[in-house]
Amino acid sequence: MSDRILEVEDLSVEFRGVEVVHNVSFHVDRGETVAIVGESGSGKSVTALSIMQLLPYLYASHPNGSILVDGEEMVGRDEEDLLKIRGNRIGMVFQEPMTSLNPLHHIEKQISEVLYVHRGMGVAEARVRALELLELVGLQHAEERLRAYPHELSGGQRQRVMIAMALANEPDILIADEPTTALDVTIQAQILRLLDELKGRLNMALVLITHDLGVVRKMADRICVMTDGVMVEQGLSEEIFTNPQHEYTQHLLAAEPSGDPVAANADSPVVMHADNVVVEFNLARGLFAKKNVLTAVDQVSLEIRQGQTLGIVGESGSGKTTLAMALLRLQSSKGDIYLGETQINGLKSNELRPLRSEMQIVFQDPYGSLPPRLSANEIIEAGLKIHHPEMTPIERRKMVSEVLVEVGLDPNLQDRYPHEFSGGQRQRIAIARAIILRPKIIVMDEPTSALDLSVQAQVVDLLRDLQHKYNLAYLFISHDLKVVRALAHHLIVMKDGVVVEQGPSEKVFSEPETAYTKALMAAAFDLEVVEAGSQ
Amino acid sequence: MASSTVAPTDGYIVDETKKPKWQMSPLTKRRWGNFKVKKRGYWSLWIISIMMILSLFAEFIANDKPLVMTYKEEVYFPVLFSYPETTFGGVFETEAVYRSEAVQQFIKDGDGWMLWPLIPFSFDTIDLNTAGAVPEAPSSRHWLGTDDVARDVLARIIYGFRLSVIFGLSLTFFSAVIGITVGATQGYFGGLVDLIGQRIVEVWAGLPVLFLIIILTSLFEPNPVALLLLLLLFNWMALVAVVRAEFLRTRNFDYVNAAKALGENHMVIMWKYMLPNAMVATLTFLPFIVNGSITTLTSLDFLGFGLPAGYPSLGELLSQGKANIQAPWLGLSGFFTLAIMLTLLIFVGEGVRDAFDPRRSAT
Repeated sequence: MSDRILEVEDLSVEFRGVEVVHNVSFHVDRGETVAIVGESGSGKSVTALSIMQLLPYLYASHPNGSILVDGEEMVGRDEEDLLKIRGNRIGMVFQEPMTSLNPLHHIEKQISEVLYVHRGMGVAEARVRALELLELVGLQHAEERLRAYPHELSGGQRQRVMIAMALANEPDILIADEPTTALDVTIQAQILRLLDELKGRLNMALVLITHDLGVVRKMADRICVMTDGVMVEQGLSEEIFTNPQHEYTQHLLAAEPSGDPVAANADSPVVMHADNVVVEFNLARGLFAKKNVLTAVDQVSLEIRQGQTLGIVGESGSGKTTLAMALLRLQSSKGDIYLGETQINGLKSNELRPLRSEMQIVFQDPYGSLPPRLSANEIIEAGLKIHHPEMTPIERRKMVSEVLVEVGLDPNLQDRYPHEFSGGQRQRIAIARAIILRPKIIVMDEPTSALDLSVQAQVVDLLRDLQHKYNLAYLFISHDLKVVRALAHHLIVMKDGVVVEQGPSEKVFSEPETAYTKALMAAAFDLEVVEAGSQ
Repeated sequence: MASSTVAPTDGYIVDETKKPKWQMSPLTKRRWGNFKVKKRGYWSLWIISIMMILSLFAEFIANDKPLVMTYKEEVYFPVLFSYPETTFGGVFETEAVYRSEAVQQFIKDGDGWMLWPLIPFSFDTIDLNTAGAVPEAPSSRHWLGTDDVARDVLARIIYGFRLSVIFGLSLTFFSAVIGITVGATQGYFGGLVDLIGQRIVEVWAGLPVLFLIIILTSLFEPNPVALLLLLLLFNWMALVAVVRAEFLRTRNFDYVNAAKALGENHMVIMWKYMLPNAMVATLTFLPFIVNGSITTLTSLDFLGFGLPAGYPSLGELLSQGKANIQAPWLGLSGFFTLAIMLTLLIFVGEGVRDAFDPRRSAT
């Protein structure tokens, strides 16, 4: 048995005659972690899927190249042979733990399935093995959870189950396609540690596909950098991080959000403050059901000053987005909210309407936050039509054009529809829609999370520029602490609807006081698991 | 700024007043392109449009009054205006019966001539000079024969087609307006509005529609408008569920929240931001609703609970065909008219639906 378990030579992939991956070569040895790094559309996932021969071969083909798994050619193999290799010699973990498990079967059945097919095990035998696997991947209370359905598990638990399935037959190669992108940072750290441990214990080769350089730095022995379907650079991890050769790699490494927040005057006036905001959801269904209240935001007080950024960090489900919605009165809440001097809780929606121009919002998903049937111009000018009805169409168009230039877009593109723009451009349109009314405060709900790394850095720069220029106040919500560090003056750490810690951001970042904040920082910056903070 | 700042060019300030008032948006253009690609729907649209336009001028195609005539050097338009028989030297103060030999004789005496429509019978003209027993078989006089009271079948079909299509389209239009409004309101506001609305819709949908209509139509003499309103009472629910589901899905989308944050009012959000999403689902249903409406009218007529005897009705033609098996032209004419009309409408609807489907592109 040689050490070289996977060898990809000169591989190209074509979709309907369009080549998307060009002559890629790399290899993976046993016990080694190789990371394939690139932004969306770089062809990294397509490369990974072709190792398993999982591409839709109705449209896809390999014009050239070979994939050797332990010396055996995969390209052009017949389906029956492939079935014996998939899930047996090669396991795969997908990005989205919410959708990659079948919601209709309990996890025992899903894990056993692999064992029935490849090992011919009986029910009892498979059950023992399934339990063993779940313990191996560190799922707590594994025995009780055998009968659990995917919806009863959290994201991290589901990802553990996915890994257990992939490992069921002790594969030689484990391909993990963005295994932690959909997970919270503390869970991410746990899953990464688990993958690393398992790799060592089972002497597997791990192929890690990711866009997250932090993960790569932590995990990979060797790195392959891809862009536009070409593998531009590969080499040992330290070498690439310390001495990147290719221009794109240098660009990628430089793209991490960095720098400091805009210098701010500590005594600038308070734009918004809120006292003891509480948001409750009644989970009870029906008219006469018993009350069952979920407190999503519990007694949160905050204040935001002109020209400053208040960062709110926390994991998913911590109530940060709900809080923001409540502050903008898009979500009903209890507690006092003031915009400047005006108390805005309790105002009716028509009394609130004139004030809306002073507070705006930018959402996370640049695909969901723009109405698909309106052109960029119509989207951006909507606010002007409401708050400045006296403006003529020509004035509006002029103003829209100016704002587009400000956010770095070509005003000649303003009659295009959202689907004709890239993710980063869409986010710029969303920002343009928010700033055209010259608001005092903009709520940013994870504005950079859905963007590629290099685009992320550009958007962060843009936000800083705009803040400086217009003395804007931001309420910046993110789970990405690196981005928050680059923007926020003050920080609120939330967990389960409660503020765990708050204070000036340098202080919170440099000397976190509570155990949860410490765990969060360790997970985000060093990808380390700190026990106190884990679930 | 890290991003490249684009220098504004002069081209972007377009004088809106110089733009044409109505311009197809790129999306509409693409959809029209998609629609044209599907030959079946495209040709069906042409055929049904021509048939519709022709039938709108049914009075000029099939009528028992001349289009133009002269009498004593003067020109008359009997199709457009009503002239008493006395105008032409007759004795009755009522409108002249141009088909009667007496009136024709008067006009001949006045050195007049008459230009008759292609089919010299209206839908309710009883041909008193039939050659044989009614219903009469197709002949050069009556192209599709006559029914059992000696009325021209082709004339009745032309008028019946017009009535059916107009009835079907207007019933569909009003049903869609009500259905979309109710569905959109329920979906957009959700919560208690949705809960109460949904219960009302469910109870209303549970009523035995056919029996209610039969009972109500036997209480009073229905005319097309009354029948339309009556059917509308029960027909509007077809779209509620679809539109409501679509609005429930869209209401928490970020762009709806963004619109709320801008201060848009509810109506604008529903109309401009959310309705376009519901349009594809709605359009998928529309051809079936149009056909359903036409079929409902026809079946009520067939059963004798629809329009009263005076109206040109395809359902009545069918029921005559059933009563007169020996005269197959009645049943066959009715059948083919309905089959062709419904098929064409479905083809058009299918084409429109595909054209709106964002997953298809004009290729």
